[in-house]
Amino acid sequence: MTTVFAAGKYLSWGVVSISLTNLLIIVAMVVVFALALVLPFPRDHHDGHSDGTGS
Amino acid sequence: MTDTWTAGVRHRISHLVPEGQALPDRQPAYVASWIYVFGVATLAALIVVVGSGVVLAIGGPVWWHTSGLGHFVNSVHLWSVELFFAVMVIHLWGKFWMAAWRGHRGLTWVTGVIAFVTSIGTAFTGYLSQTDFQSQWISGEAKDGINSIGIGAFFNVLNPSQMLLWHVVLLPLAVGLIAVLHIVLVRRHGVVPPLGDELDHRPSDPREGATR
Repeated sequence: MTTVFAAGKYLSWGVVSISLTNLLIIVAMVVVFALALVLPFPRDHHDGHSDGTGS
Repeated sequence: MTDTWTAGVRHRISHLVPEGQALPDRQPAYVASWIYVFGVATLAALIVVVGSGVVLAIGGPVWWHTSGLGHFVNSVHLWSVELFFAVMVIHLWGKFWMAAWRGHRGLTWVTGVIAFVTSIGTAFTGYLSQTDFQSQWISGEAKDGINSIGIGAFFNVLNPSQMLLWHVVLLPLAVGLIAVLHIVLVRRHGVVPPLGDELDHRPSDPREGATR
């Protein structure tokens, strides 16, 4: 079986050159980062005692 | 306490982190946010990376190049590394924007930086250790860069045996040690509170630790 690796698509702005795949991965990471800031974190409803200090 | 080196070491180990903070089952309320998940996600990915790497070391290059199971474990190793770096960078972004070096946490920040840089070196030598045309091409591209910073004489990227040994022994050991140190420091000083949180500089905060 022969596997052919095609050259990926590259985007260029002046001296900056990045593959489309890498750009999409970075964008996805930024999206995950933003979602982590805004999405509510599930809380344990059975844990009625929350003094905010840990132990 | 008796004046022996064993007692001294025991005392230091037992006082590395405040009592109850080595494996805590409760965290401050502000930790209930997805942004605090990425540190432990990095650790989880690292465990998969090391585990799959151990299996690859048992099977060897011919196994991971020619068998179905070998291909699978090789892919697990690759994609766990990709996940490791993705969540580590998001962890870095989160900690950077919350200025996580506050409250005597400078060394925690620095050990994180060292862990990140060492991980890049480990991944790089991994790409050089694939024993295929890709690793050959990458080493050919890398040699000039490595030579330009003056270390090519003793860190020869064109020497697959040396790169493999760095990848499976030296660098994982370094990453593991620095990760342990990083986690101990996190447990020692506590998870950094959000900017402006009143707990930030409260001297009686148990997470600050009286044994610092």
